[in-house]
Parts: sequence; C-alpha cells; structure tokens
Amino acid sequence: MDGFAKYLGRRLFQFFLVIFLGVSLAFLITNLSPVDPVEQSVALMTNFGATDPRSVELMRQALQELYGLQGSMLDQYLAFWGRVIRGDFGPSLSAFPTPVMSLIMSALPWTIGLLTLSLVITWTLGNLLGALAGYYRSNLLLKLSGAAVMALHPVPAYIIGLCLLLAFGFIWPILPISGGAQMNLQPGLTLDYLRSLIVHGTLPALTLVLVGLGSWFISMRSLVSNIVTDDHVVYAELGGVSSNKIFSQYVARNALLPQLTGLALSLGNVFGGAVITEFLFNYPGVGRLMIQGIYRGDYALVLGVTTISIIAVAVAVFIIDLIYPLIDPRVRLS
Amino acid sequence: MLLKKLAAAAFAIAATVMPVAAQDFIAGIPREEALIIQGPAAQNAEWFNLWAPGGGASNNGLQQLTADTFWFINPDGTGDAAWTNALASDKPIYNEDFTEMTVKLKEGIYWSDGVEFTADDVVYTVQTQMANPGMGWSAPFTVNVESVEATDRNTVVFTLNAPNSRFHTLFTVRWNAAWIMPKHVFEQVEDPLTYNNNPPVSLSAYQLHSYDSAGNWVIWKLRDDWERTSIGMTLSEAPEVKYVVYRNAGNPDARVIEQMNHNLDVINDIAPEGMFTIARDAGENTKYWFPGFPFAHPDPTLPSVLFNHQREPFADKDVRWALALLIDIRSVSMGSYRGAANLAALSTPPTGTAITDYYVPMQDWLANFELDTGDGAIKPYDPTISEQIAALVKPQWGDSIPSDTEELKRMFGFGWWKQDPAAATALLQKAGFSKNGNQWLKPDGTPFTIKLMVEGDNIPTLARAGTIIAQQWSMEGIQTTVDVAGPTNGQRLGGGDFDVAIYWTVETWGGHPDLSFFLESYHSDFIKQPGETQPPRNLTRWEDERLDAIIEANRTVNFDSPEVAQLGMDYLKLAVEEMPFIPLMAYNKFAPFDTTYWTGYPSAADPYSASGPFWSNLRYMIVALKAAQ
Repeated sequence: MDGFAKYLGRRLFQFFLVIFLGVSLAFLITNLSPVDPVEQSVALMTNFGATDPRSVELMRQALQELYGLQGSMLDQYLAFWGRVIRGDFGPSLSAFPTPVMSLIMSALPWTIGLLTLSLVITWTLGNLLGALAGYYRSNLLLKLSGAAVMALHPVPAYIIGLCLLLAFGFIWPILPISGGAQMNLQPGLTLDYLRSLIVHGTLPALTLVLVGLGSWFISMRSLVSNIVTDDHVVYAELGGVSSNKIFSQYVARNALLPQLTGLALSLGNVFGGAVITEFLFNYPGVGRLMIQGIYRGDYALVLGVTTISIIAVAVAVFIIDLIYPLIDPRVRLS
Repeated sequence: MLLKKLAAAAFAIAATVMPVAAQDFIAGIPREEALIIQGPAAQNAEWFNLWAPGGGASNNGLQQLTADTFWFINPDGTGDAAWTNALASDKPIYNEDFTEMTVKLKEGIYWSDGVEFTADDVVYTVQTQMANPGMGWSAPFTVNVESVEATDRNTVVFTLNAPNSRFHTLFTVRWNAAWIMPKHVFEQVEDPLTYNNNPPVSLSAYQLHSYDSAGNWVIWKLRDDWERTSIGMTLSEAPEVKYVVYRNAGNPDARVIEQMNHNLDVINDIAPEGMFTIARDAGENTKYWFPGFPFAHPDPTLPSVLFNHQREPFADKDVRWALALLIDIRSVSMGSYRGAANLAALSTPPTGTAITDYYVPMQDWLANFELDTGDGAIKPYDPTISEQIAALVKPQWGDSIPSDTEELKRMFGFGWWKQDPAAATALLQKAGFSKNGNQWLKPDGTPFTIKLMVEGDNIPTLARAGTIIAQQWSMEGIQTTVDVAGPTNGQRLGGGDFDVAIYWTVETWGGHPDLSFFLESYHSDFIKQPGETQPPRNLTRWEDERLDAIIEANRTVNFDSPEVAQLGMDYLKLAVEEMPFIPLMAYNKFAPFDTTYWTGYPSAADPYSASGPFWSNLRYMIVALKAAQ
C-alpha cells in the first residue's frame, strides 16, 4: 500500500506540474500573439462604415477598458489563474461579452460526438486489421487492405476530406457537406434528429477514420509481428494451442496494452477538436471555434480551448497511470 | 457469421439514415418560399444585440433584415436613384454652419412587437450609446453630438459639438450605419452592453424565425405587418420571399457545390475558378452581375499597391512612379483574376457613380497627363488596356466578349499605365538610384529590395496579384519577396509594419461622388508616428498640404453640392501626380445567383440594389425577387 501511495503521490505531482506548465506556456504564447482583439473589434465596427479618426481613437480606448486588457501581463496571468480555478475563462473578446466557457460548452458536444465515435471506430478497425495483418502475414486480403491503409496514411486530412466532399457532395450528391444537422430541425432525442446527426457527421467522421486508421494499423502490426516470435507464442504453437486462441489470448491481448494508452491519450486530445476536418465540413465543433478565435485575436477563447485540452490530456494520462498497474502485473511488480 | 451480422447492422443503419436524403433541405419550410444566402459561422449564436461590440457587424441577417436607420445609398446606383429615405421622410436638413441637423421621420412605422417607432427611439439610441462607452456607435456620437432632442413625435434635432457637414453619414447605410434601438425594449434592461437581445424586435420587413445554437444558420420570416416598415410601405404587393435563410455554407469549394446543388441561392464570394465552374456547368440556372465573362461584381473598394511613406525610399514619388511603370497590368489581371478584373488608374473604385462622375470626364486629362522622368516627359496612360485584356481572354470566352470598346471599358476598366522600364529607369536614376548588373542600388549603395505584404489565402486574388508584381519587380532588378501576413494583415497595415502591401486604402459610397467616406481620414492631423496605429484608411500615411486643402474645402460644402465632384477630381489628379499608392482594380467579387427558385437579381444592366449578402442594402434586392415559375 505504501508503494502504491508513493506511486500515486508521484503521479499526482506530475499531473499538477504538467497542467501548470502547459497552461502557463499556453498563456504566454496566446498573449504574445501579434493579433490584437481590440483592433479586430475596431476593424469589425469601422471597416465598412463612415467613421472619422477621432471616433476610432475613442472607440479603441473604450474597448481596451471594456475587455479588461489594461494592466501588466503578470496581473493578467494571476487573474487568469484565479478564473481557471473557478472554472471561468472570462468573456470572449471576439464575441463579447459571451463567456468563453459557454462558447466552448456549446461546441464541445459536437466535437466529442464526432471525434469519440470516429476514434473508437478507427482504433477498433485499425487494431483489428493491424493485429490480423501482423499474425496472418501471408493472407492476400489483409495484405491488400494493409496496402490501402498505408497508402492513405500520409495523405493530409484536407485532401481526403476534399475528395469525399467532391465525391459525395457533387459527383454523387447523397450526403450533406456542411453543418451538423438539418436546418430548422428541432434538436432532441427524436429519430429524425438522430438520423440527421448521423448523415451530417458521416463525411467528417469518414475523413477522420481514413486519416487515423494508418497509425493504429502500423503500430499494431509491428507489435504483433514482434510478439509472434516471442517464446510463449512459439511454445503455444508447439503445444498445439489453436491459432485463434493464440491470436486472441497470447498475441493480441499483449499487443493491446500500449494501444490502450494511445487510445486514452487520443481521447484526451478530443477536447482540442479536429481543426481541419471541422473547418472543411463546417462542423460546429471546438476546432472550428479555435480557428475563429485565432483569426480574431481572441486569446481568451484560444486559451480556454487550449487549457481544457491540456487538462483533458493530463487527466487521461493520469487515469492510465492509475489503472496500468491493475492491467499489467509487470508494472505492479516494478 | 460475423460478417453477416456486420452487413446486417450496416444495412439497418443505412435504412435508418437514408430517408434524410429525401427530406426537405430545410425542415418544415418549403424551399420555394425560402431564399438561401451565404452567411458566416456565428460564435455566439444566441446574441442579437446589434449595438454591443460583439454584434457590431452581424452578417447573419440581423442588420440586413431587421435593423433600420434614416437613409440608404445604393453602392451600385447613380444619381438621385441611389439615395433612399428609409426612416427619414426627407434628406438631412442642416443649419448654415453645419452645427445642427434636423431629421424628419416617416409616420406609420412599427416595431415587430406592435410598438410604434418614434423620434424617442432615435433620441434614446444616441443618448444610451453616449452613456455606454464601448457600444457600437458610442464613440462617433460622443465626438459629434452635443445634444439630441425630439421636438415632436416625428422630428429629431441634433446639436453638434463642431460644424460637420457629413454628420448624417453616420446614419446613412452603404454597408451598415448607426441602427436605431428599440427604446421600449432596452429601457427595461440594466446593462445594454451585456443584454443579448434575444429574440430581437425588428424594425424592418423580416423578423427572427429560428436559429441554430451551433451558429450555422439563422432563418428570418416576413413580418405579417411588413407594410408597416420603411421598406414595406414602398411596395405595392407583399414580397414573395417569405423566408430568408443565412447559412454558413463552408469553404469556397463547398459554396460552389452547394449552389450547383441548388442549396445556396446567393454567394458572397468565391475564387475565379469556382465562378468559371458554375458558369460552365450550371446551365440556365444561374445569373451574374455581367451576363457573361467577367461575371464579377465590382465592390466600391480599391485594391492597390500600398507604400509605407514613413519608410525610405517610398516617401519619394519618383520611386513610387517607377514601381508603377514596372508593372505589366495585363499579367496582373490575368494572373489574379484570370482576366476578370476591372482595372483602375484613378484612386477611386471604378464602380457606381464614379464612372460618370470621374472616369468618363477625366479620360482626356489622363490621356494628356505628362510625367517628368528626369529624362524627358512621357504620357504614361494607356486607354486601350481593356481591348488588350479582351484580346487575351477571347480565345477562352469567344463571342461572349463584346467588340464595342465602351462596353469593354465598363467590363475591364478604362485604362491603366503602360509598362515602361526605360521611363522607370530614368525615374530611379532621378531619385539617386544606380544599377549594378541587374540589381538596383539605393542612393546609399545598398541593394534595393522590397518585402511585399499580402494577406494570403483569405483573399487569394490579391495574393496572386502580389506574387505577380513581386516577380515583375524582381525581373527588373528589384528583389521582391512576398510576405504573407495572414490574420495579422490588418494590424500590420494599421501599425505601419510593412514596406509595400497589396490591400485597399480607399472605399467609397459607390452611389455618391462624395469621397469623404475615406478621404476625411487622410488629413495630416490624423497621421500617426511610426509604430502607432493609424486610424482606418490612409494606411500609406500619405501627407500632403494640397490634400489637406482639398479635405478642408470638402468639409465646408454640402454633401449634394456639385462642388463635391470637382473636389473629388482635384484629389484624383493629385493622386495621379503623386502616386501615393498604385491603384490596381476594383475588388471584384464572384457572386453568382442561382435562379432555380428566384429571379430578378440585380445586375450591371439593372443595378437597383447591392447584391452582397453582408451589405444591408441587400434588403432592397430581397423584397424585389420573384419566384421562378
């Protein structure tokens, strides 16, 4: 118990240190951004209207005060941590005075739904195919599917997304290419709405699946390729254990452990959104929100999304660290 | 067995999902009653307060369809027809020294909740914003207004802090203006800056129907009492567009696809290639500003080569002119817009009333304009440029390119400067430059190099123009690199953090010859020191006493005085002589319309309204559209 308490203590310290350093770095980077939210707001209000220079000067001063951007960076840093502890990131500077948290909370369900689902599909399919390909190395079908997955792996998401957009939005227009659900459809747990969600999420999800499949496939295949030459597998084969059992119990199970870690980390990353895919398909998630924040110099918003993402990854790693000893006896013993 | 189960599950999901494909594009709204317009992605979809900083430019239909103010100018119009009295019953009435403006309001206008609009709303709008710094029009009201009062139910009198003959332009819509607030709503609110105004009451013909909390669309519905609005009372019958849908249709490629699929009637802007795809493949179901090539609508903005006058050697007009004469504008036109550019030699956009007020009357002056290169005088103007562009695009577009030269001028521009490297050489030598091999050296002996800033992918046509100009200058011995500023572009322009840039520093009313819209901010009183942020416009920080004199003279004449156009010409002549920036072209927008459901869109032949989705003048197009038979 003492050992586990020490282990837990170390991990807890690491957990808080990672969050502190990560969030502080994010604060520094976003606050050093050359894009000034006040200038963005001024431009928004004056770009197309007849506004004389004296008014613009006054407007600039008023917005500086309103947005709370006066004071040193240290003052703002301390105030920021005070707000983070209360779960508040302050008002968005590009959508003033809407709180950053409410913008994130309205985008988060879309991102979590899209990314979690596509991640689970990608992880399951990639690992299954990778494990089979690593174990049944002479199977032609698996070789072909491996080649296809490997060919897609280096293609950037926006290329795959654009191809899907053209294929299913233009050449054979059977799927919506923009938005999260049908227009004017009342959100709720109705069959119509769920259908609409699935149909609108199909192309972005497919993009993410096609892009993500390769890495899981490659890593699982190499893990399995190594394990099949391990002594315990060779002995099992010599002992006449069925190949299905060797595959599932001796090989795949052992290879799965690092993949689970990868899954947890990827789930943590879900909170950062899938920037390119969301942007391409106009999907109303956190990634698109982040891009809008960057373009409009809304560092409160960018910082909010980044902080949540950092905390989510740190939590995922922490949980994995906690349950690892339970899954792998080798970790427990060491 | 497993495979069979998987196949069955996939089929079940497909059977559940596929009926969606057969559903209405918009749930519960007949497509033939809805006009679908390209809108933005809203971050704060619940926010409908147009007067707070987060809502100052709500391009989702809020300002275009529900807000109203005194006057509108059609940016594509000419003469008296371009002016519309909206909430005001007449034009602004100034006293002799422009320290007082009286506005007479129309009667019988109602907010969408049934409350009558009166002068009290106007007074409340001004006073509330003055009392709340940070509200959209708080600053200009504070600077200009000493007091405002309603002398009766339909009359408002503004007393100004100082003479201002253009005060009414605060309430005059080109793109937007100071919108009138509903007093009866906001006076119940504790803080008008934090009130989301959801749902908004409308002062115009449409009101909020529904919106996407994820920010992808907003639907506006024709008011039952549409005729009790300033726009409605001018109509003889009800508008046929019952619903207006502002939807975020995604990236430019997606917009093209959505219009080809008839899911987007009005596009704001796409790349030339997208436009050409629609023109080629959309058949009869499409209309554009011009009936064929160059398709595009010229906005009253003027993309130019901007020089930072506070950085050497760009304060020297000979250097600026030399750089202008090193440009082959035909290549710029072909490379940026694939020939579909409306070129401009004058420093005002060649759109709307500028054609008749400036471009046509100044052709002789331009043709006779002489430039002293130090090695003799040249006449740099080339009035045949539109014919040359027409010859370049004719192989691709064939008979759709007319042969009438006057028509070509309106399509491709009236003229531009001849590329003349010999004259440019003379000008650079006059400025003290010398040449070492193919490299120009500055007077101090260091290589003359330029960083040419462009915004990047956000405005691809201008980025392409910048790249081509950089190549042309480099070939002539001035090493020019393209500097992509991305989202920092606006700030770097404002802060003077550039040598040379491609952007616009001139915007006009379009439908009125008065140039104060941008020119007022060109006065030397407002020029900032290097590093400080310059007010919008005059991004080049051009300073000239003769310019100040023109601006000061313009302040003293009435907005509608014939002197306005004369002063405008004085400015244009000075700008040609000094070349403070090199005007390139109007900002051409490729904004095709789908005619599957709606017809009667404005065009170059019938420019009765603005056509851009974000321009508030768009309302006049919406109520004029007819359902396709």
